[in-house]
Amino acid sequence: MRYIQRQSSFARGLHWIHTIACMSLFVTGIMLFVPAVASSVGVGAMQGARTIHRVMAVIFIAAPLLGVAVNPKGFIHFMKCMFYKWDANDWKFMGKFFPYLFLGPAKQHMPEQKELKSGQAFSDWIILALALLISVSGVFLWLSAAGVEISGVLALWMLVAHDVAFVLLGLLMIIHIYLGAGVFQPYRGSVRLMFGDGRVPESDALYHWGTWAREEFQKGDHISAD
Amino acid sequence: MAETAILYDASKCTACKGCQIACKQWNQLPAPLTADEYEFTKSYQAPLDVDPDTWLIMTFAEVPMDIGVEWNFMRHACFHCTDAACAMACPVGAISHKDNGAVVIDQDKCIGCQYCVSNCPFSIPRAKIMGGTDYAKTFKCWQCFDRTSNDKAPACVTTCPTNALEYGDRAEIVAKAKARVDVLKDQGFAKAEVYGVDELGGMHTIIVAHRGLEAHGLIRDPKVSAATSLLDLAKPLSVVGVGVVGAALGLSFAMGLGYKRGEHTYDEKTDTVTIGEVE
Repeated sequence: MRYIQRQSSFARGLHWIHTIACMSLFVTGIMLFVPAVASSVGVGAMQGARTIHRVMAVIFIAAPLLGVAVNPKGFIHFMKCMFYKWDANDWKFMGKFFPYLFLGPAKQHMPEQKELKSGQAFSDWIILALALLISVSGVFLWLSAAGVEISGVLALWMLVAHDVAFVLLGLLMIIHIYLGAGVFQPYRGSVRLMFGDGRVPESDALYHWGTWAREEFQKGDHISAD
Repeated sequence: MAETAILYDASKCTACKGCQIACKQWNQLPAPLTADEYEFTKSYQAPLDVDPDTWLIMTFAEVPMDIGVEWNFMRHACFHCTDAACAMACPVGAISHKDNGAVVIDQDKCIGCQYCVSNCPFSIPRAKIMGGTDYAKTFKCWQCFDRTSNDKAPACVTTCPTNALEYGDRAEIVAKAKARVDVLKDQGFAKAEVYGVDELGGMHTIIVAHRGLEAHGLIRDPKVSAATSLLDLAKPLSVVGVGVVGAALGLSFAMGLGYKRGEHTYDEKTDTVTIGEVE
């Protein structure tokens, strides 16, 4: 069987770090977001949760920035994929994705996609925007709690922004995990891309990212077999 | 316990600050013991604002007159609002209403996030780092709930030498305040008003402002910020969101059950993708 090396060890390592940070932030965020949880765990646990939340927030913000600094070529490549001009196949993919996802994958023939599916790029832009919003608002809240002079009104709206971004990111993460971990049948096995060896089998590559897979096989640089 | 309130009648107040001291004394709030702790401000108002160790201050609004100034005093402390923005913002449920209407911070639950500080329209709650820890806690007037729950008036009320402060059944206090305003208007204070009857759902500190609300530094028609309402909405909306996404993904999973596809293979020489039979 042939494979394409889709994700580098660097990208997977960064994804591992960000996953741990995101999950920790999500759990400690839930503790702060739902009063019933706070009441049940007590003030000591809540203080601990706030400390963990801040440490993980630093990792959440610093890890991708370090990633860009250490591997600028990888970042530029990712941004090029994000800025791909959508062609007819990309628009067609977007139009068919919801019926494909909710009404049965067998009934839809999905068009070939490039390295980053149009749907992936769409959700990645939303996630990037929300990550930026939650990071900026979080820094403001941290500074406000640390005694830096920030107007109450600004702090309050930053809290609203933080909560809204938290809820939306939480919902997007559920969908991300559903697809990325391969709970959805056609995506079975995709978990290995970020949590395994980063390789995608020939059949899966052609099914999901046909245009990209054909280009990779033609170049032959990232192909392996066993 | 019946709903109660403090009445502050500015027209009777001499700003002796007895209430300010009584508050500190009863609640064992430390005061600076060294000279020059506070910046000299040329005002009798000291400290200039409430802080974690000073839950009540007398404010001295000075209006320049032909000769000297006119002082408009005000008792500045928590108003104990029914629609308490601080309680709405607290993420851990540490701020609650007692049966008598007092808004109280449970220090055992407070995690020092200071969302209440940002949220209060009057900037009343204040936070400080607790000794021996890295964590803050937030403080404000609790209307001496330890006293009121034992049928005693708040400390500030008991010390007032001119009866500018009273404590009792809220309905009676409101009636007394309205009657006092009528008297003051007859005496020539045309701008005299009652504050706190309907503001923010009804406060548990009722004010008689004989020179009008603005003259005494009171905020006319204070509002809970729209941001606070959005915060209140975020929680039920998130539950709905999780429910909708969960149901949608459940449907997606069910519709995808049994899905199989043929093996895809690629021939680089002919640039052809072959899809095998579904097993």
